[in-house]
This record gives sequence, structure tokens and C-alpha cells, in this order.
Amino acid sequence: MLFPALLSIALGLTAAVAAASPLKIELSPAPGNPAAPRMGDRLAFHSVITNTGQQPIDGVIAWVGLLKVDPGHEQPVDLEDWSAQKAVTQSTLPPGGTIEVDWPLRLIEDGHYRLVASAVSRSGEIATSPLADFSVQRKPVVESSRVLPVAFGVPLLLLALLLHRSGLSSIFRRATRA
Amino acid sequence: MNAALVLARKEGGELLLGARGLAWLLAASGALSVFGLLLVSNSELSLLDNAQVVYDMAATITALGALLAVIVGSDAIAGERERGTLVPLLLTPLSRGGILAGKLGGQALTWAVIYVLALPYLWAVGSTGQNLAASMVALAVLGTPVVLGFGFFAMALSARLGMARSSLLSALICLMVSASPLLLGPGLRQSAIGKAFDTVNPFSAAVNAYDAIIIDSQTIGAQAASLIVVFIWFGLTLCFARRSFRGIVR
Repeated sequence: MLFPALLSIALGLTAAVAAASPLKIELSPAPGNPAAPRMGDRLAFHSVITNTGQQPIDGVIAWVGLLKVDPGHEQPVDLEDWSAQKAVTQSTLPPGGTIEVDWPLRLIEDGHYRLVASAVSRSGEIATSPLADFSVQRKPVVESSRVLPVAFGVPLLLLALLLHRSGLSSIFRRATRA
Repeated sequence: MNAALVLARKEGGELLLGARGLAWLLAASGALSVFGLLLVSNSELSLLDNAQVVYDMAATITALGALLAVIVGSDAIAGERERGTLVPLLLTPLSRGGILAGKLGGQALTWAVIYVLALPYLWAVGSTGQNLAASMVALAVLGTPVVLGFGFFAMALSARLGMARSSLLSALICLMVSASPLLLGPGLRQSAIGKAFDTVNPFSAAVNAYDAIIIDSQTIGAQAASLIVVFIWFGLTLCFARRSFRGIVR
């Protein structure tokens, strides 16, 4: 419960700052996104960054942030595996100019998520998009708790048998006795 | 005890009971372990559908079994000749048919051990249990004739060529061509040549049947076309091995 409250306050503050900023950013899901995405699916979100002011804006950097909002598991998501695109830059955005960016996402883990796109200029103007919510359904995949014991256990078992057969175990026993 | 059975036990025993022979079993389990570890450590692979992973593992086990069968088969006759043990073997009271049956039995025993070794790996990657038992049955019913067929084929080449290295290389090249469906994408196999190759290739027949059984949840009984191809392959290679073995001169 604490996390959504903090998120609302933070977004409220950002919105207050953004109200004075000539930078505007919109975020919308791509039309081809699956209706009920599962782990391993790909989603895409489209954002448009606009300079609504009268002056050019220099050094625009745009990026996306992803939040997991499942109760008890609220946390920002490291996009290392989720997105190939980390940030987009443009040296100058003229008045009325726009930058269109597509943000592809590979869904790695199940849960409920909120995506937000942000843009900042060199002089400190910041804009934050509306939130895009989506859920990822669990898919049965390989479980490491089953694979690891077999992957390490079987070769170790055979190695022990091999050592036993080759007589190394008796040599080892003699050495430890001595 | 039947003399052919004794020879089969000797052939298999050399591979399974001796310390040197066990090394290949360790290598085979190492290969399957690496594949299993790749599946859990790579985020791209770890998100594959569970049935897809079981299918991949079944195809890998078949390829590994065929590879080992080719190596064992290539050594069966030409290796004996090069070690100078072929003539003493032919001079034993065993008939030619008995010797061949013993050699083939050794191949079957080797595949049986690989199959048993592979079962824990199939279980490990098939976490949902979806078609897991069916995959084990499919591997036994379709994988066995394919793998043994490659062993018999290599043995026939070994008898005809008389050189282990030459027969091994020839059989390995044939195996690589046959197992190419594992490497080629479905797109490349949609051409007329690709389809024709798929129709007669026993390896394609086996992996296509694995696909249908494990991923599409079809029954083994519905894979009549694939079963016919793999058993024709088994029969032809068995005949080829018998004919080639009969032609061996001391």
C-alpha cells in the first residue's frame, strides 16, 4: 500500500514540474501487442516527445522505466534483459518538433507492471508520460531447481564410478591412510 | 549362454564397464548437462515453452546417440582389422551371423545405456510434465531405429572400407547431412528440395514426430508416416550391414 502512495506523490510532483516544462511526452501501446501477454512475448510501446515551447530544446534524452506493482513485490525493474533500447538522445528539438520512439520489451517475468517514459533536456526540463499498465501471465518454463541437481549430479556420479573403476579411489584411500 | 549374446556383452562391456569406456559416458552426460545448464542460464532459452524444451532435448539425445552409434559402428569391423583381432574373431566357432548379431547387440546395449542416462535430463527440463512420458516413449520408439540404423550403416561402411578412420568420416558426414533439420530453420525446409529431403530422411521423420507428439500432443499412433520411414531406414541399414559383413575376407 505504501508503494502506490509514494508512486502517486512522486508522479504528482513530476507532473507539477512537467506542467511548466515545454517538453511533453505521450506513451501508448503498439496496436499489435498481444491481448494477454505471457512470459517470453514481446510488447512494444510508442512514445512521442514534443517541444511545445517557443525555444529549441537542446540535449534531449528519453528513456523508459518499468515498475512492478504486485502487492508485496513493488520494485523498479532492471531493464537489462527486458529491453534492448536503454535511452534515446537528440541534440536539438526545435519548437513544435517531435521525436517518435518505439520501446520494445521482452517479457521476462510474470506480474503486473507500469511503464513510464521520461524525457529530460540539458537545461533540466523534464517530462513524464502517462502510465501504461500491463500484466504478464506466467508460462511454464524450465525450472533450475530440477535442472541443476541433474546437470551436476549425473556427471559427478559417473565421475565417481569412473574413479572407482580406474582404481584411483583405492589409491586415494591408501594415501589418506598413510 | 548363446555365443552371440556373449559377444554382445563383451562389446557392450568394453564400452560400459571399463574405466576408459566409461569416459565416453561421462562425456555424453557432460554434453546433456551443458545443454541443460544453457537452458536455465540463458534468459532467451529459459523462456522457451516447456514442451519445446523437451522436444529440443529429445532431438539432442537422438543426435548424440546417433553420433556415438556411428563411432562404435565404425570401429566394429575396421577397428578389429586394424588392431589385428578380426581374423582371430572370424576363426572362432561363432558363425558370421552370430558375430554380426553380437556386434549389433553391442550397439543396442550402448544405445540403451544412453537412453537410460538421458531420462533424468528429460525429466529435469520437463518441469510441467506436459507430454513428458510421451516424449520418453517417442524417444524409445522412434529414436531407437534411427540411432541403431546409423550404427548399422557405419558398421557396413566399416566392413566395406576396411579403415576405421575412413568409415568414420564417411558415416559422420552422412549423419551431419541427415541431422541438418536440427540446424536449419523451418523456412529453409519449405522448398521443394527441403520437403523431398524431409520425406525420406529418417532423422527428419523422427524429429517431426517428436514435434507432433511432444508439442502438438498427438499420439504415437498418428505418426504412421514417420514410423514407416524410420523402420525402413532400420531395415535397409540392417540388410546393408549383413551384406557387407558377409563380404568380409580374412
